[in-house]
Amino acid sequence: MEAAGTKLSRSDLVRTFWRFIFFNQLGWNYERMQSVGYCYAMLPILQKTHPDPEDFKEAFITNLNFFNTNPVVGFPLILGAHAALEEAGASLETTEGLKVGLMGPLAGVGDTLVWALYNSIILSIGSVMALDGNIMGPILALLLVFFPYLGVRYWQFFWAYNQGTGLIAQLGSGAIMRVTELATIVGLIVIGGFAPSIVRMNTALEWSRDVEVRGEMTTQVINVQSQLDAILPFMLPVLVTWMAYALLKRGWSPIRVIAVLLVVGFVGGALGIFG
Amino acid sequence: MLTALILACWAYACIWDILGPVFFLGFRPLIAGFGAGIIVGDVQTGMLIGGTLELMALGVYTYGGATIPDFTVGAILGTFFGKTEGFEVGIALAIPAALLLTQVDILNRFLNFIFVHQADAYAEEGNVKGFERMMRIFSHMIWGLSRAIPVFLAVQFGESAVKSVSTFFENNRWFNDGISVTGGILPALGFAMLLKILPVEKYPAFLLLGFILFAYLGVPLVGIALAALATGLVYQQLKYRGQEA
Repeated sequence: MEAAGTKLSRSDLVRTFWRFIFFNQLGWNYERMQSVGYCYAMLPILQKTHPDPEDFKEAFITNLNFFNTNPVVGFPLILGAHAALEEAGASLETTEGLKVGLMGPLAGVGDTLVWALYNSIILSIGSVMALDGNIMGPILALLLVFFPYLGVRYWQFFWAYNQGTGLIAQLGSGAIMRVTELATIVGLIVIGGFAPSIVRMNTALEWSRDVEVRGEMTTQVINVQSQLDAILPFMLPVLVTWMAYALLKRGWSPIRVIAVLLVVGFVGGALGIFG
Repeated sequence: MLTALILACWAYACIWDILGPVFFLGFRPLIAGFGAGIIVGDVQTGMLIGGTLELMALGVYTYGGATIPDFTVGAILGTFFGKTEGFEVGIALAIPAALLLTQVDILNRFLNFIFVHQADAYAEEGNVKGFERMMRIFSHMIWGLSRAIPVFLAVQFGESAVKSVSTFFENNRWFNDGISVTGGILPALGFAMLLKILPVEKYPAFLLLGFILFAYLGVPLVGIALAALATGLVYQQLKYRGQEA
């Protein structure tokens, strides 16, 4: 049976937050993914809200259930909301419902926002600087990881805790949808611009033919690349990216697509078709 | 020997970082290569190898626990061998190393099931101390060692093998050409993976806008990112006008 509620102290929450920071995905496995990391972070709070040993044991076991979401955007939010529910004396069914209900949607939002978009933007800019020999490239990337990541996780955890049971209503109000939409638009424009600038593919093919100009025979060399550029700049990078996308859409694994790109690039380069 | 050990520790730290604190995003090749460059005393090579692999692996992440090539270890080994044998050899070794270690990652994620079963046993006994000890001391070991050991072995014992690879390179220019073209087109995978998770069919115009900004207007990368943010904000302001902010 659950008590009517146990007030959590600031230090309980801070302890859980730091346990989350240092251990969230350790022990990740195919069977239950982030379950042990989640349980480890939550234990100090569970110990306090379940003073009865048998009751605590049940909470300990339950919190080892399958869990997986984005570790940067999602995980701390669920943890904060769970802490608030524990404080209110919610049942294990309620807290498990919260975890299962939020982890899927937040994984989608988090993976898109953090991994796909934010990281790709800061790391491609950092890499382009690094390739110019500018040491600020990697340093800039490091700074744009350390502070924003820590800040966004801290904020989510305490925001979700303070929202408490009102959180679900907040999330349902369309805020998440709007942030995802913004990220999608930014992502598409960035990919549209970054892909042709970063994917490098040119053809070295030329053909020559003899033509008669004012009665004299001359050899005219036609450079295929400049012909392609006249039709559409960066045509080959666009085509190869689109091909990879089409293969992934057909259900090919990334490893298989890499194999195709390796063969196309290596054979094409070795034979001098591309260069 | 010392370099091999320090690089192995760096590989351990890089994978540990993404599983917990995410303080420096060490598993990304740009960072892993940069750190390896500092360790071997050749930051330029570290940045070249790391930056090149980073662009190849852009947008390639373990979504939902999917397995991807291990560009982290690739960047570390590529930097180490690239310092002595040159950039091309470094990259040419980094890519197969990354692909080979894919198998190690699958094994590692499988073996980690030990922790969840051990955790169940501790929970049945209500043994919090035991569970906490397992988490603190052991939970990162399979992850860390599965990266650190291959790095150590390759750095310690790979020298002679790499020397012969490097000689082969010098005698076969076509091989170099193949590798360098491959390096240029591999980033296509990352962009394709990003496109796959985004609703391209719903908003094709934004993709086109980004292309125009770069291909016809020559806007630099930071400028494209800022233009993207501005466009997104304006779009939403117009779309949600009249609704509460």
